[in-house]
Amino acid sequence: MTIQVDSVSKSFDGKPVLTDFCMEISDGNSYLLTGPSGSGKTTLLRILLGLEKADFGNIRLLGDYKYSSIHAGTVFQEDRLCEAFSAVENVAMVSRKLSARIAREALEKLLPADALDKPVRELSGGMRRRVAIVRALSVPSDVLLFDEPFTGLDAANRKKAIACILEEKGSTPLVITGHSAEDLSFCHPVDVRKGVPLQMR
Amino acid sequence: MKSTPLKKALIILFWLGVWQLVSLLVHNNVMLVGPVETAESLVRLVRAADFWASVWYTFWRIGLGFASAACLGIVLAFFSAAHPILREFLSPFFAALKSVPVASFVILLLVWFGSKNLAFFTAFLVVLPILYGNTLEGLLAADRKLLEMADVFRIPFSAKLHYILLPGLSPFWRSAFSLALGMSWKAGVAAEVIGQPLHSVGNRLYQSKIYLETADLLAWTVVIILISYLVEKLFQKFLTCLPGGKTAKEERSGREEGGERA
Repeated sequence: MTIQVDSVSKSFDGKPVLTDFCMEISDGNSYLLTGPSGSGKTTLLRILLGLEKADFGNIRLLGDYKYSSIHAGTVFQEDRLCEAFSAVENVAMVSRKLSARIAREALEKLLPADALDKPVRELSGGMRRRVAIVRALSVPSDVLLFDEPFTGLDAANRKKAIACILEEKGSTPLVITGHSAEDLSFCHPVDVRKGVPLQMR
Repeated sequence: MKSTPLKKALIILFWLGVWQLVSLLVHNNVMLVGPVETAESLVRLVRAADFWASVWYTFWRIGLGFASAACLGIVLAFFSAAHPILREFLSPFFAALKSVPVASFVILLLVWFGSKNLAFFTAFLVVLPILYGNTLEGLLAADRKLLEMADVFRIPFSAKLHYILLPGLSPFWRSAFSLALGMSWKAGVAAEVIGQPLHSVGNRLYQSKIYLETADLLAWTVVIILISYLVEKLFQKFLTCLPGGKTAKEERSGREEGGERA
């Protein structure tokens, strides 16, 4: 299964953010979207999620997609956690199939056990980020879209998080935005200002 | 500053003393009676056979009016939050309902439905705009980013309600329910005083006035205050059980954090 981003352009208030951007997101591959802030990385992810409409161009889903919009395990640029609830509840809430026990097991890989039952508003920035990562990995998805997932994580936790993502994702394609390519050598680098020309099929 | 029970009791005792003193100075049982006579009168009332009948008559009419208005108001608010057209369509209706003086629509209701269930309709009309307005405001103030997250993760509505909407609503409901409870009792009993349905609390209040039984009047007032206080406490307990329904202070600090990141 493949997601084709075909010549997508988007501008806000006349200011172009994405121009003629092309890339292909296919199974088994990981991509690191790079570019200075404001260059349209988040906008591209939002267009992929269907939260934003491209001014020009198409998102094409090639292959056996059941729905018109993609199922994406998403880490937003902000944490977007439900503040009054615990880490376990925040992960378990996203799908009926997730029990608290499964959520707890998934969280324990990245977080200390005593942080799991406190309201997330009491956790540090880095811990909250990791809760968001676990939540994104916990839903069945066609693609993983992680917007700056490692903000606030130190080098050791960043390594752990990357290992966990690789272990959980299987062949699901992964798109990460970020500034540093450290430990992300398994990703194809994609400059959001240039894109990757689509190949003829 | 935390007020200890002892301090509280002393303060209340002081004001009861002031009340007693003023009544002694006035020295006229029609103008004002003191707390002692009021208490005596209250005991006499409670022992009388028709006391509970009157309380029950008014209580369940106001209660039912309150409950049905709260349900309808909340359901309407959910639909209005989802459909701006409905919101605009309903807004003149609720604006009118809020601004019409209670006394005017009590008389209208009296003409339309008679006096028997006057307290029900009055409580209903007083409570409906309060619960509708506050619920709608709470829903519209819900965190857009969390709702977007819920859509992306395709979170079922029940979970969205439990984890995102109800925590946002609880501070709005806290003030709405306490306001609506107080208003429904005051307006409901006032309506009964105007409409005079037999065996109602309003009717008994009015009789105290006719017979110049000021002690009875104050005793009934104490009864009304007590009931509405108890019901309000009960509701506060219920609201604290809602998800994210901790104290208002905790709730506020939680929302401020959310606001900073937005």
